[in-house]
Amino acid sequence: MRPAIRSFARGHFAASALLFAALAPEAHAQYPRTPPPAASLKPAQFPPFQETALPNGLRLVVVERRDQPLVSISLSFPAGSRYEPSGHEGLATLAATLLTKGAGARSADEISATIEGVGGSIGASAGSDFLTVRADVLTPNVPLAFELLSDVAVRPSFPEKELELARTQILSALQLELSQPSAIASRAFARELYGKNPYALRPTPESVRRVARSDLVAFQKARLRPSGALLVVAGDLSFADARRLASRSFAGWKGAPIASAAGSAPPARRKTEIVLVHRPGSVQSNIVMGNVTFLPGDPRFFAVTVANRVLGSSASARLFNILREQKSWTYGAYSNITRPQGIGSFQVTAEVRTEVTDSAVAEMITQVRRIAREQVGTEEFSAAMESLVGAFPLTIQTANQVAAAVTNAKLLGLPPDYLQTYRTRLAVITPPMALAAARSSFRGDAALIVVVGDATKIHDGLNAIAPVRLVTTEGMPLAASALTATAGPLNLDMTRLVARSDSFVVMVQGNAFGFQRTSLEKNAGGYTYTEATQIGAIVNQTTTLTFGEKLDMRHVTQRGTMQGQELKTDVTYSGGRVKGSAMTPTPQGVRTVAIDTAIAAGTLDDNAVQAIVPALKWTPNAKFQMSVFSAGQGGLRPMTLNVAGKESVMVPAGTFDVYRAELTGGQAPVTLFVTTAAPHRVVKVTIAGAPIEFLLVK
Amino acid sequence: MRRLLPALACATLALPLPSSASAQEPGRITVDRYSLPNGLTVILAENHSTQVVAVDVWYNVGSRNERSGRTGFAHLFEHMMFQGSEGVKKGDHMALLTRAGSQGFNGSTTEDRTNYFQPLPSNRLNLGLWLEADRMRSLSITDSNFTNQREVVKEERRMRVDNQPYTRALFEEMYGIMDSATCFPYAHSIIGSMDDLNAAKTSDVKEFFDLYYAPNNATLVVAGDFDSAEAKRLISLYFSDVPRGKTPPPVPCTASVNSGPRRKNVLDPKANLPAVMAIYRIPAYDHADYPALELLSTILGQGESSRFNRALAREQKLAVATPVFANPFGPRRGPGVFLLLAIANQGIKTDTLEKAMAVEAAKIGREGITNAELTKAQNAYRATTISGRETPLEVAEALQRANLFLGNPEAVNTDFARHMAVSADDVKRVAATYLRPDNALTLIITSEAK
Repeated sequence: MRPAIRSFARGHFAASALLFAALAPEAHAQYPRTPPPAASLKPAQFPPFQETALPNGLRLVVVERRDQPLVSISLSFPAGSRYEPSGHEGLATLAATLLTKGAGARSADEISATIEGVGGSIGASAGSDFLTVRADVLTPNVPLAFELLSDVAVRPSFPEKELELARTQILSALQLELSQPSAIASRAFARELYGKNPYALRPTPESVRRVARSDLVAFQKARLRPSGALLVVAGDLSFADARRLASRSFAGWKGAPIASAAGSAPPARRKTEIVLVHRPGSVQSNIVMGNVTFLPGDPRFFAVTVANRVLGSSASARLFNILREQKSWTYGAYSNITRPQGIGSFQVTAEVRTEVTDSAVAEMITQVRRIAREQVGTEEFSAAMESLVGAFPLTIQTANQVAAAVTNAKLLGLPPDYLQTYRTRLAVITPPMALAAARSSFRGDAALIVVVGDATKIHDGLNAIAPVRLVTTEGMPLAASALTATAGPLNLDMTRLVARSDSFVVMVQGNAFGFQRTSLEKNAGGYTYTEATQIGAIVNQTTTLTFGEKLDMRHVTQRGTMQGQELKTDVTYSGGRVKGSAMTPTPQGVRTVAIDTAIAAGTLDDNAVQAIVPALKWTPNAKFQMSVFSAGQGGLRPMTLNVAGKESVMVPAGTFDVYRAELTGGQAPVTLFVTTAAPHRVVKVTIAGAPIEFLLVK
Repeated sequence: MRRLLPALACATLALPLPSSASAQEPGRITVDRYSLPNGLTVILAENHSTQVVAVDVWYNVGSRNERSGRTGFAHLFEHMMFQGSEGVKKGDHMALLTRAGSQGFNGSTTEDRTNYFQPLPSNRLNLGLWLEADRMRSLSITDSNFTNQREVVKEERRMRVDNQPYTRALFEEMYGIMDSATCFPYAHSIIGSMDDLNAAKTSDVKEFFDLYYAPNNATLVVAGDFDSAEAKRLISLYFSDVPRGKTPPPVPCTASVNSGPRRKNVLDPKANLPAVMAIYRIPAYDHADYPALELLSTILGQGESSRFNRALAREQKLAVATPVFANPFGPRRGPGVFLLLAIANQGIKTDTLEKAMAVEAAKIGREGITNAELTKAQNAYRATTISGRETPLEVAEALQRANLFLGNPEAVNTDFARHMAVSADDVKRVAATYLRPDNALTLIITSEAK
């Protein structure tokens, strides 16, 4: 019954409040019905810090803070990913990871046991511009922290086995990252936004595999030098102690990093374009919209910061209010500006329900145009300004926050009084200044918009907003027609099917190691395709596929052995389902899977791809989307067969002009070499990552 | 004395770095606790080392208080608390805080509590207190607010659970460790089911507010840069006439540890790399075994030199990540969970990984730990505790935890000693007691049906 009591209390209170307000100045002692006004703002000074340069050129900044027994030390170098040699993306991250995996006289295990034994931590990471090593310890362990820092920065040992371990882990982390839509979106955005500029690049499995120990040694030698580096000590340590420890720990270390060429300018963009990354099955769409901005010292920074505050850098800004609070389209929508050492960027991001993707994109464009065209009203402007100015003490609460602010300002080369004058330089911005800055920095009419989602559901809606370029999650071009093909059966030409029999030799590391014979027969009611394969003593199997008249799947049987284990599959495709069983050898023994799965019309068995090749409509740009069922894996998956190029190949059966067609979506990418002339025959097959080839003999 | 003096002098000289704070333990927090006549508990901790004040309200309600058919409701309700009140128009709550310069304000829901917190520049203490008071006394509960926030919560669910790898196991399947029949409060997830969210009605919101959001079920902490006398005046002015509510019903849970092994395959299409999660039942936060369990989680899973990282990731190369948690969403007063997660390296089968995890988990119960491992875990706890009290908001949250889970805010100053008193034998004993196969739920997480 509390609501009744409450409303009574409210009514009673309201009456007395009015009474008091009319009669007596004591009204202030009543519960205020509106938000109480601010007490006066204390002048917030940026906490003092001291700096010096050591004789070897290493700059030292000390932020002394004595209220907790903690010290944090960071050492930054101009050694971020932008300095990686082409094709070696991931080198800076690998170098950072390995610095603490063996240095001076200590092995990786000894370093971690030493620092963690005292409750401290040490680690390094690389961003696009800088590589930073950081140690955090309780005060009594500061000398140990300096000793370890100087070892890892100056004397890393880069053990081969640690490199392989780190590589394996980074590759797995990459795989994990590439499964996350937000990561796919941010990678695609960087790639499209920065073009040939190094900020566009992200590690790929290939580039990570390419990095050798010698690359790490060379990178460390060239870029981890004292001149140009910045050492920041924050916390429970005096300037004198910090300087003494730094001088002692880094004595004898000399030199400057070698000069490196400035990156190319990002591509100019004259109109808005949507890059749609097709991620089948996504239940949401990740949207990133934006453009490149300016260098870190640009005077527009303060005005742009205020305009960005109004638009989307908080949960009270326009984007959050409209996309989340008013429309319930998303859990959050924000804008932000990045401020690297080179050209920065402006980004609007949101993760929305699939069905409102186009509405959300249209609204984002509208709001970006609005902030760049209409002056912000006084009230809204004041709210944004007060929040930025009022928040300042919250951004410098801990010694680490202070140290991070100092580090950033120093590394970006901002003026010496930047931090001390930050608050006042913000406070002088006016609405016309914010508008002028937004107009030149937020490009609603020449934006890059990246959307990651299920393109079959959102392509047309987006295409009505701006021209759409469709790509795969790997960034490869994808034809819009591929989207419709996914849902339906392949467009096949039965007239091109001819009964025939082919023999292949199986080459393993260049040596003949087995054979494969395939044959296609036309019979009453359809086709039968048989494939017999023998590879050494490892594989011996025969697969028989029967198709209807339109190459629709009927049955698949597979018999044989693999590494001595029995292999047996029987499945039937009928009435929109596939049923049967599959016995598949695995390292843990033979696994039997019962199969009963609903499938879309036109779904192919994974053994059938090679069989239908002659009936596909091959062209130099052909892309075939297939829905494929794999009995061994017990599941459906989309697969794509793309013509990646034309070439001439020589196999035992002769020399042929072929399309090089890449089949992706399966366990490993497979390349099929298919004759350009009809009847289209497969003359060669290679499997990515395996030293195995199938070559046509006759 | 004469023999001691040189020793002391040496010790002083050997210390290269005199520290102004005690280097061995977190600084003492001075606590002032009192109650208003309507039952609101108030805890004040004044400290002027920054120009920031934190206002932090905990309501003694979480998913443990939900009834069957209304799972996810405590969290859904938390969203309603930002939708306005008598003096705050819809959408203004966050706008007022943002305009005041507050950053990182939010609310969150765990099994055991719901919190609402805001760090503010110290000249805006009055705003933080008033906003909390206004929603406690007059929350706007309307159909349109409710429908709108329900959609937001469903979207949050899609984003956090349905569209991210491993979250299905962590956010939902993990709760399968408890039986609904004997301990429904801890046998369902915080995020709740879509069906239950859809079934929730505006009348449920009103009922929930009246029962759980009364001052006698809340604790207000103010920490940081403020004047206690002024804070007390404002608290009295803003909160005193919010009426007391009924006493909420007790939370029923009769489950014990060691009630049999369980396992389940979790289909997670987003999990590119398969994973194994082992979940063990453990006792409540105030139980004598809990500090040893927390140190055990550090020894197994925190840092490069932790056992799981060394054995599973570095030596056997079976896993890419091996996080270990005691209660991933925060302490509990009911039975808790100890959780081992290992994400498989490329090409590693879950069976292999599961066996290796079991071997490592069993080893401590059988062979114990080294003194170096104990020291390391205690030093890690020391560092985490000290660095976890740097900001007023961190201090406020530490006080709330001590108050709710240990029954007294002063425990913020004694909980540290509880952890330092743990012995290597204690860790061995709790590992043997709780990390047993018959006390575990094992989840095998794969992206395709096994």
